[in-house]
Amino acid sequence: MTENQPVEGWRPRIVAIVCNWCTYAGADLAGISRIQYPPNVRIIRVPCTGRINPFFIVKALQEGADGVLVSGCHPGECHYLTGNLSAKRKFAMLKRFLSYIGVEGDRTMFTWVSASEGERFAQVIKAVTAAVTALGPAGKLVKKWQLLR
Amino acid sequence: MENVETKLREEAKKLLAEKKADIIVGYEKGTLPLLAPPCFITDPEDAEKLVWNAFCVQNLAKFVHDLLSQHRESQKRLKPADRTKKTVGVVARGCTTRSLVIHLQEKQYNRDDIVILGVPCTGYVDRKKMDALIAGEEILEASVAGDSVLVKTAAGERKIPLKEALADNCLACRFNNPLISDLMTGDHAPAMDVTQEYARVDEFEKLSPDERWNYFTREMDKCVRCYACRNACPSCYCKVCFVEQSQPRWVGIGEDRSDTQVFQLMRLFHMAGRCVDCGSCIAVCPMGVDLRRFLKKLDKDALELFEHRAGISPDEPAMLGAFKESDKEDFIFTPK
Repeated sequence: MTENQPVEGWRPRIVAIVCNWCTYAGADLAGISRIQYPPNVRIIRVPCTGRINPFFIVKALQEGADGVLVSGCHPGECHYLTGNLSAKRKFAMLKRFLSYIGVEGDRTMFTWVSASEGERFAQVIKAVTAAVTALGPAGKLVKKWQLLR
Repeated sequence: MENVETKLREEAKKLLAEKKADIIVGYEKGTLPLLAPPCFITDPEDAEKLVWNAFCVQNLAKFVHDLLSQHRESQKRLKPADRTKKTVGVVARGCTTRSLVIHLQEKQYNRDDIVILGVPCTGYVDRKKMDALIAGEEILEASVAGDSVLVKTAAGERKIPLKEALADNCLACRFNNPLISDLMTGDHAPAMDVTQEYARVDEFEKLSPDERWNYFTREMDKCVRCYACRNACPSCYCKVCFVEQSQPRWVGIGEDRSDTQVFQLMRLFHMAGRCVDCGSCIAVCPMGVDLRRFLKKLDKDALELFEHRAGISPDEPAMLGAFKESDKEDFIFTPK
């Protein structure tokens, strides 16, 4: 199959779905503090990780994202008290299920970044970008026209 | 089995005559061999139609939900004083009661809206297995006699051991007796062999990711998107299913393979902590997609991660609607 051969000059496209109260503010802090991190990530802000339908993640992969990062408040620090705790269950199941059907585990990442952790946000993005770059372009579950791009 | 059937008819007749149930959902003798279709009985005299044997395949909880939600919708147009209550009686084996428990956990209706006629279950005959056993001959008639199935084909009569023809999910069934019931007909059925419950999942996990992906794509390429699996599944009761939603349109309807894969993936994932392994989706699938291999994985994960088995206790909350402080966090990514 042609799907896992990196094209010349290929850079990963990573979708980061982050919560408004912690990780988005953490990303903001990283920006304000002028911390450098790879530009491959597209941030989508949602009210809470509990808002994230697992379908968002699958849909992002289908529409051509090479990796999906989900990040929210640390357990116990959720703005809505328990949103991230019930989200955690969904993600644990989804991550296992995706790797069961053969989608590489590193394509979907879940982490916690609080509003004061600008440094950690940059580290996460660096690490995720490196992991996804190592995997190469996504070829599984992807729409045909996305593969042709 | 015969006395279960007689008892079942008696009880159903009594329930309808005493107006304890407005309608009974059960199985009747169909026109095709090897298949006892669902039937809906409102007249006490019709209770004689009820059957209970190894050809009763479909999970009837689906129809209980349909009947009750339709009734609730119809009541919305009436003045509060004119509203009536509808009680649905259902012939339920182990997996059917588990589906009912899931509906109760998810607050779909109240416990007093249903009357459960529990029946012991020793498994049902898998049509596809049977076709393979008799090597493609047309089955004209079939009946169960003790531990074997008598099958009449154009070439003559054959006796097939019931054990060989039982569906996979029945062979590894953990809950073949009703978990909750108002009336129990017959004695409890003997337990099945559960040691091999996750055998196919364990075997699949050992393969490499690419092998697993190839298997997944090969299975999903068979799918013709008839949605029979969704229509048969008692846990699939959304008023508007995501495959038919158009704002936003979640799943494309073109010939793109990934759309079918995503449809199947998400329908399977919706079964996380909700699949009771009744095998209805597999029984109705016209293309023979191996859904059970994936559904069992979700079941296994739910047990491993959250010690949750679908539809065991009505008091427990739904798995993905709850959490514990002790939930594992080993999948959370930490940069070094």
